[in-house]
Amino acid sequence: MQLKKPIGSSLAAATCGLLGVLPAAPVAAQEAPDWEIDSSLLYYGEDNNRVTDGSLMISARRRLDEDRSYNLTLTVDSLTGATPSGAVPANVVQTFTGPSGGGSYVVQPGETPYDTNFLDTRIALSGSWNQALGDAMRYGIGFSSSDEYDYLHLGLNGRLERDFNNRNTTVFVGAAFGQDKVKPVGGTPVGLAPMFGEDDENEEDDDEDRNVDLTKDVVDVLFGVTQVLSRRSLLELSFSYGQSDGYLTDPYKILSVVDPLTGAPVPGLEDEVPYLYLYEKRPDSRAKQSLFAEWRHAFDRDSMAINFRLMDDDWGVQSQTVDARYRWNINDDSYLEPHLRYYTQSAADFYRTVLFQGDPQPDFASADHRLADMGAYTAGFKYGRRTQRGEFSIRLEYYRQEGDPSPGSAVGDLASFELVPPLTAIIAQFGYKFRF
Amino acid sequence: MGSPCELLCETDDESLAWRLARHAVREAERIDRKFSRYRKGTVVEALHESRGRPIRLDDETARLIEFGAKLWQLSEGAFDLTSGVLRRAWNFDEGPVAANTSLIPELLGRVGWQRVHWQPPTLTLPEGMEIDFGGIGKEYAVDIVADHAASLTSCPVLVNFGGDLRCTGAAPKAGAWQVGIESIESFGEAVRRIELRSGALATSGDARRHIEIDGKRYGHIFDARTGWPAPEAPRSITVAAATCSQAGSYSTLAMLKGADAETFLEAEGVQYWCLR
Repeated sequence: MQLKKPIGSSLAAATCGLLGVLPAAPVAAQEAPDWEIDSSLLYYGEDNNRVTDGSLMISARRRLDEDRSYNLTLTVDSLTGATPSGAVPANVVQTFTGPSGGGSYVVQPGETPYDTNFLDTRIALSGSWNQALGDAMRYGIGFSSSDEYDYLHLGLNGRLERDFNNRNTTVFVGAAFGQDKVKPVGGTPVGLAPMFGEDDENEEDDDEDRNVDLTKDVVDVLFGVTQVLSRRSLLELSFSYGQSDGYLTDPYKILSVVDPLTGAPVPGLEDEVPYLYLYEKRPDSRAKQSLFAEWRHAFDRDSMAINFRLMDDDWGVQSQTVDARYRWNINDDSYLEPHLRYYTQSAADFYRTVLFQGDPQPDFASADHRLADMGAYTAGFKYGRRTQRGEFSIRLEYYRQEGDPSPGSAVGDLASFELVPPLTAIIAQFGYKFRF
Repeated sequence: MGSPCELLCETDDESLAWRLARHAVREAERIDRKFSRYRKGTVVEALHESRGRPIRLDDETARLIEFGAKLWQLSEGAFDLTSGVLRRAWNFDEGPVAANTSLIPELLGRVGWQRVHWQPPTLTLPEGMEIDFGGIGKEYAVDIVADHAASLTSCPVLVNFGGDLRCTGAAPKAGAWQVGIESIESFGEAVRRIELRSGALATSGDARRHIEIDGKRYGHIFDARTGWPAPEAPRSITVAAATCSQAGSYSTLAMLKGADAETFLEAEGVQYWCLR
């Protein structure tokens, strides 16, 4: 075909004649991008050189059409630092074996024993497929996986939702199944057995047992409803039930055995570990149920979301969470979002700060602070800004967790120590998302 | 307009929403009444019954006729305001096999802008010929309603008459109006999404109206020179332009280029999306 002179200017002139005037603004149209990339770099740092985590996340979502999309997310975490071992401070020098069985560490009088050999890289990959089934129904199926040197997780999940009542009500159900493999470094300790020194003779005897992969199965089910309350308000209510079975113990956590009157550590069975510590032991099943409610409201310019969660499990842990965010839209392109969260929980039935010499041995015991009576709050903000190509955000948060520093079990010497030391952490995150 | 018409506006001001809706309905109905080929007492009917006598047109009709005459010229006769009579050979309203193509040679004797005497604002239409604003009327109505809306409010508005649409600014919250291009296989399903921040989009296609003869598909946009739709035209053409009248002209003219539709649009340097 022979190309003719473009007709654009003649057509514009003819249109001007038809309409009297042409709009000042030129056309601005573009095909909506199919790919959405979300990325973030997160720093999490606890005080007193405890845990530091650097985390890099990249997530890609592709829309195939109006009804179908898929997503892949890769996260790499690098954890370093120390975690409380579960043992309590003492007026004497304490020596512990490292989790690898190689290398022991010494804790000075009055200091909280931290397991300093904590170092890990974790890689997680997850994906999902989402599709609409007609006008009122959608489903999603996904997988999750993560790998670190002593832990492997594989999971599958699914979700189905359906709109009713002119799309003002959405009912959803979901289920997830996960299978985890735990392979403790240095073998699996026997629960409530004494911690031995590095050249432990008994280790040989236990080797067969100790190198077996331990598994943990987790099943979660969820159902809920979101209801449009008004043009500006939305309420979501959901109930979830989770059942975990298998090895739920933390193989690196121990408990101090102390004298019931003086609170002093009891002598150990060996020279390498002069005092007696027992490995913790938790039940091999846990059933959790939780109720969640969230209210979202849009104001003229800003919006807010507040949610509550009540959790209850058969270990005796009950927790309450309140989380509130307010999004202040400073202008069309940027926002500031303050965030406040408060969390409180009761201790697990088998939580002990210490075990007393002479007491009958309990079936289960753990001194893990995460199972203690405690409260925590988070306060921070997120600032986001839309640019020509995408949107970046900065999040800064302060986290503070406090348990009862001197519980009833703080007898004798123990009364002068902080048995459950408070934890302070800073969270800084930089995020960038864009579409193409 | 023969298709669903909507006006979208994101506002908290209910009275503004009503005002916009009332204006839009009033204008759409007025234009429909005035230029429809189906109604009695319209300027179209007056022309058809003029029996070759000159008719002096009102300003708005004259402007539309002038625009159509320009498109005839720019399309080298492929687009023609008088090609409506060809519908007698291609009856889309009576199912997909109602073509009687043997009528075409005879009907072509009643088609052709060169036979019309157009001395603005006076039109002399030879007896037996007809004027049909079908190819430009709806787009014109979209532009008029959008211009009206812009004079009533600075709040961005989207005017959509059966898939030909224009906005007066970007959607406030989403940043852009999300417009789907309908699949040629199944109605109501979008195969592409366009983000429109300013200007107009118009779509021509055979998805909703077509005739099949011996398994071959024919759209409803005829080349006035042959009486047939241009061969090998895309199934759907969407064009973006500052006004709906321009976008619609481009998509119709591209349809008439048949196999060369994309080459034509490419040379025009406009944004377009073709489905074949």
